[in-house]
Amino acid sequence: MVKIAIYPPNSLILADLLERKGHTPLVLQKQIRQKIKDPEIDSPPMNLTSDDPIKGLKYAAIEVPSGVRGRMSIIGPLIDEAEAAILVDGAPYGFGCVGCERTNELSIFLLRNKGIPVLELDYPTNQDETYVMVNKINEFADSLQENSGEE
Amino acid sequence: MLQNLTMSPDLGTEDWDPDVITRMIFIGPGAHVSEQQIVNEFHMLDLPLTIKNTCYGSMISGKSKDVYKAIEEIRKLDPNHIFTKERGFAPGDPRRCRGHRFGPREGFHQMEKEYRILGFVSEALENPKEVEVEDKKPIKVDEFKKIMNKCLENKE
Repeated sequence: MVKIAIYPPNSLILADLLERKGHTPLVLQKQIRQKIKDPEIDSPPMNLTSDDPIKGLKYAAIEVPSGVRGRMSIIGPLIDEAEAAILVDGAPYGFGCVGCERTNELSIFLLRNKGIPVLELDYPTNQDETYVMVNKINEFADSLQENSGEE
Repeated sequence: MLQNLTMSPDLGTEDWDPDVITRMIFIGPGAHVSEQQIVNEFHMLDLPLTIKNTCYGSMISGKSKDVYKAIEEIRKLDPNHIFTKERGFAPGDPRRCRGHRFGPREGFHQMEKEYRILGFVSEALENPKEVEVEDKKPIKVDEFKKIMNKCLENKE
């Protein structure tokens, strides 16, 4: 069982396909749950505390806007935990909830540079492309299972 | 914007328990089960869960052990058409519930976009086969000329 980061980090299809193969998808919702169970924060969307941009400094420099750093304080721990990643490119507007292109770019950059197995896909628009996407994800998940079994 | 905020939601002990998780159950297009059947099945499992019937399927909340067990059982009904996803907020949480807000709930647009290809994903899971997608290439100039001349000739 491998912890796999997915991008967009709240995708139903990616998370579900990985769970079917027995892997653990690292989804944003788990981080959000941790945040809302914190008694200090009771009113999303005002759900960032002044500490969050400071935590985000681990992932982005001080010159980077505080919004990016605040978002990275939530997504960053997922990237740290990741043992593999699946990145979907070209998804339509509205697919994915990070809401900040600079954060998307930084997260994808960090995942690519982490030295973990990464599968990059294009968002499918028709049936054939969806078949290709599902096949690639299944193959990738199986290959991870084989590798983790050898260790 | 202010209408969208509930400053002090009245939360129960379950909402603060870190072990309590919420999952959304989606029924893909062309499924052999209905939303009501899924909800009935959840009730029949007799697990301590909060179950909510929704337009896309249902939402369940409870201790993680019970939730995963329920999902395992429910998937058996139609493995290729039932999809599940985590949810950060509990069902009916005033900070996210559509009943207390204006417009769609956050996350609805994501569901809407993913639902468009969910049917294809189900088919790919049901009948796995190798497919090759041809790359789209621009048409060659000579070929384009031929087609154009043919069209012009036909016009005359």
